[in-house]
Formats: sequence, structure tokens, C-alpha cells
Amino acid sequence: MKKYYEAAKIMFKTQLVYRFDVITGVVFSVFKIFLATVLWGAVFEKKGIVSGFTFHTMLTYYLITSFISQLDQSAAVGWQVSSDIRNGRFSKYMIRPIGIFRYFASQSAGSTAFLLFFNIFAAGVWIFLFQIDFTIISDLNLILAACIMIILGLLFMVQLHYFIGILAFKILDVTALMMMKENIVQFLTGALIPLALLPRAWVHAMTYFPFYYISYLPTMLLLGRNSGECVSGIMILVLWNIAFGIINTFTYKHLKSIYDGVGI
Amino acid sequence: MEIINTENLNKIYIRYEKEEGLKGSIKSLFNRKKIAKSAIENLSLTIEEGEFVGLIGPNGAGKTTLMKMLTGIIAPTSGHVSVLGYVPSELKNAYKKQFSIVMGQKSQLFQDISAADTFLLLKEIYNIPEAEYRKSLAYFIALFDLPDYLNVPVRTLSLGERMKMELVAALLHNPKILFLDEPTIGLDAMAQKQIRGFLKEVNQKRGTTILLTSHYMDDIKSLCDRCIVINHGKKIYDGSLENLFDRYQTCKTITVSFDEPVSYHTDFSIDMVEENPYKISFMADRKDVRSIVQDIMHTYEVNDISIEEEDIGNVVERIYTDKGGDFQ
Repeated sequence: MKKYYEAAKIMFKTQLVYRFDVITGVVFSVFKIFLATVLWGAVFEKKGIVSGFTFHTMLTYYLITSFISQLDQSAAVGWQVSSDIRNGRFSKYMIRPIGIFRYFASQSAGSTAFLLFFNIFAAGVWIFLFQIDFTIISDLNLILAACIMIILGLLFMVQLHYFIGILAFKILDVTALMMMKENIVQFLTGALIPLALLPRAWVHAMTYFPFYYISYLPTMLLLGRNSGECVSGIMILVLWNIAFGIINTFTYKHLKSIYDGVGI
Repeated sequence: MEIINTENLNKIYIRYEKEEGLKGSIKSLFNRKKIAKSAIENLSLTIEEGEFVGLIGPNGAGKTTLMKMLTGIIAPTSGHVSVLGYVPSELKNAYKKQFSIVMGQKSQLFQDISAADTFLLLKEIYNIPEAEYRKSLAYFIALFDLPDYLNVPVRTLSLGERMKMELVAALLHNPKILFLDEPTIGLDAMAQKQIRGFLKEVNQKRGTTILLTSHYMDDIKSLCDRCIVINHGKKIYDGSLENLFDRYQTCKTITVSFDEPVSYHTDFSIDMVEENPYKISFMADRKDVRSIVQDIMHTYEVNDISIEEEDIGNVVERIYTDKGGDFQ
């Protein structure tokens, strides 16, 4: 396990190299909440409550989902894997005594750990600057369940992106797939608008897919809602992770035989 | 002990051909022409433990394909390959721990952080005990005089410095076999010499078996006792470097300067490279050199004369063109 811990550390160190990126990341996060305040302020000007959300619960929702979305650095895995395959650089992972998925998952975890560290700071600034009445539940069990869900969700996203990445063995350029995935996931995770604003049938259908549990449900749990879906949510995420683990293993074994390592 | 063995190895790549122009691009969207290209043909070889073997051939000869098959990156289309008793394409971790590959044009180091940080990762990946890691690192630092740039971002290093780091990264876990694909490409003469010295020491003192591909014949000449020549996927020579050059280094370059202007004539067959009244430089068959020199000394007032081995590039060209000649 130490090699994967070291792989995570390498990514954490890499993120620290570019100080300008670190500062801009924090500033941009603060700027985003400013825009959200203006936008939702306009929406809530005439109505005190929209779909059960007050202005402050909506901002809290936005704060938490943004926070979780930013922790998800798994898209880099998809881009990196596909570009390394296309340019023949993937060979360097194949010849090392490592589990390739675990190696990339560790690197993604390293990036996430870095963002977690700085985003906690940025979140503090948000709450202080915009005087957000940041009220999350105090039930430790639900907080723990939400955290487990977030970790399982992030793991699933790494698996999904790794899957898209290794498809480059066959189709070489996965840009179109990545873009399609990006748009769908943004919508299905509730990162664009709260899923509660969508028709009930839609929301019900989404509960069978993992995206619903990646940022939306953990956020709702932390807001003290949807606690009845907690156990089923964790189970669905575990099942999707197992399924994608099997799919990835099979896909890698099958597709690596057509890899030419061109470019070496 | 034999550690690399291949028998009747074949590799066929599938490529897709597209007609030129926009029309061809659109057509290829619906109908692509598949082409099978043979990269390695019936190649058999064995390499003994501790050998330093040079693998030479023109671009596209199949050298890198052979390296990729030996390391397991790609699987052969047919034939048998065994390295250290393993089938490389099975990519077993036990096998991966026993070899390393360095590619001159592909970095294995993280560019944004220091090489020392990448070494720490490799220490964990190869499960190198702390004491052994420190000892190896100290050895390589001393050998290459590295401390000055061990802790600076890799992307700020010169090509020569980076290549030294690549070699250290490849050797930290003390592999039994080192595959080197053009390790001195693009390096200046000084860096090339340093790397050659380093590789020689690693081969002799650590007993690491090394298979080297290089377009620089100086690398091959100064490092390898044995040489394998590949062209069009076929092995056209496998044997001592000395024999190879005896066979193909057929000419010598003779340069003569005179005290007074002369007009040089000879009955021997020569290939003039440079000619002016005070100096001539030409290539002559090795067997004629003695007679030619005697004739010049007897006929002209010579100021200076030098006899050099033929330019190595010409020799290489002859080897490839001859397709093995007598060695087939």
C-alpha cells in the first residue's frame, strides 16, 4: 500500500509547485459563491421559499455541492490515461509492478487531498464574507454516512474516467466521450440545479444511477433531508463500484492486447 | 546462463491506410483499408547473463518492436519469447521487478517535481529497503556527480542531466536486465561519454545484462562486444563487433599534404574526397593501402601523411545495404 500512498503524495507535491494556480483556485472559488449569491438573491427576492429551500439553505446547498464537485479530480485520470495511450507513454505504467488503476486512483486522491486542504480554507472565507447561515445537521451518523457516500462517489468517478481513458486503446481519441460524460454528469449530480427542482419521476429514475449519490444526496443528508435514502444510497454506490471494477479489469485485459505502444 | 531467448519471433502490426486529401479523409470515415505490416520476422536469439549487446539497424528495422516484446509491452504475433524464465507479455509483477527500460525520447520522471521525489516513489514501487536505497543512491550520485541537480524540478534540467536521472531511476532497484533504447540521442559528446562510462561500470561491477539500441556507432563500439544487426525485421548479423567491422570496414582514408604543388595520379582504385595541389584526401581499399602509401612516398615530396579508419557511418550504411552478405 505504501507505493500508492507515495503516488498520492507525488500528486500533492506536484499541485504545490505552481503557487499562482493555488492562489487563483482559492480566489476563483470565492468569486463563484459571489455570483451564486447574486443569482439566487434575485430568484429569492420575490419568493421566500423555492421547492423547500430558503435563500440560505440554497447557498449552503451550493456551497457543499461546489465543494464536493471540486474534490472530484477524476477527469484528469481519463485525460491522462487516454493521452498516454495515444502517445505511447502508457508503456511506463505497464512495465512497473503496480496496479495501474490503483496507481491512478491514488494520484487522483493526492489531488483531492490537496484541494480538500485549500477548499476548506476557501469555504471558511465564503461563509465569513457572505455571512451565510451555514447550518448543517449535527447527527454524526448522517455526517459519517454522507462522508462515506462522498468517498464512494469519488471512487466511482475515478473508475468511470479510467474506463473512458482505457477506451483509447480502441478508439484513440476519447474527447467526444469525455465531453458527453461531462455534460451528463453535471446535470445528473445536481451540480447545475438542485435535483429537487426536477419532476419527481426524473428524480426517482436517477436514484438507480450513481450520479445522484455523488454530490446531491450527501449534500441533502448534510442539510438534514432525504435521510431515508442513506443506506440504499451507500449500497447502490458500492454495487456500481464493484460493477465498474469488473468492467475495467475486463476491458483493460481485453484492450491492452491491441496496444502497439507507438511513439516509443 | 541464458536469460533471454526468442525463437521464430514474429510481429505483425495492423495499420489503416488513408488516401491523401480531404476526399480521402471523408472516404476513410466509411471505408478504411487495412494493411498488415511485418515488423519482426522469424527472429531467434539468445542472450547470456552479464552480456552487453548492441542492437543496431536503420529506422523502422524492428529494434524498438523487439524491445517492446522483450519487456512485455506488446505480445508477439507468433513465436516464443522467454526472459528470465518469464513470458514477458504476461506482465507478472515478479518479472517487472527484474528489468528496467530507458527510452531516450520518453521520460519516466515527473517533470514538475525533483528527480529525488520520483526516486522516492520508485523506492516504494520496487519495495527497496531503506538502507539499500540510500546505498544505491549514494553510489549513483558519486558516479554521476549528481547532488547539484537532484532536488530541482526535472523540467529545468538539460537533456544530459535528465538522461542521467532517467538511468538512475531505472537502476535503483538493481534490475537484472536493462533495456536501453537510444539513451544518448541528442546528447553532446561530453554527456555521451559520461553515460557510456556509467553503463560500462554498471555492466561490469553490477553484472547487469544490457541490451542497447543506438544510432551512434560510437556507443556500440565502445560498449558492446556483441552486436545484433536487424533490418526489415530480420536478423542479418549476430556476433562479435570485431568480425562485423573486419567484414564491412573495407576502406581506409588516406590524407597527404605536399611541400610543393602536385598533380596526383594512381593506377589503384580510389575514391577522392578532397583534392588541391597541396593536399589530397581519398578512400582506398584496405588491401591496397600499403602499396599506395609506398608509391606516394616514392614519387612525391610528402609533408605529412595520415591513415584513418573509414567513417563509421559508411560502414553502417554498407552493413544495412548488404543485408548481411556473407553472414546470412
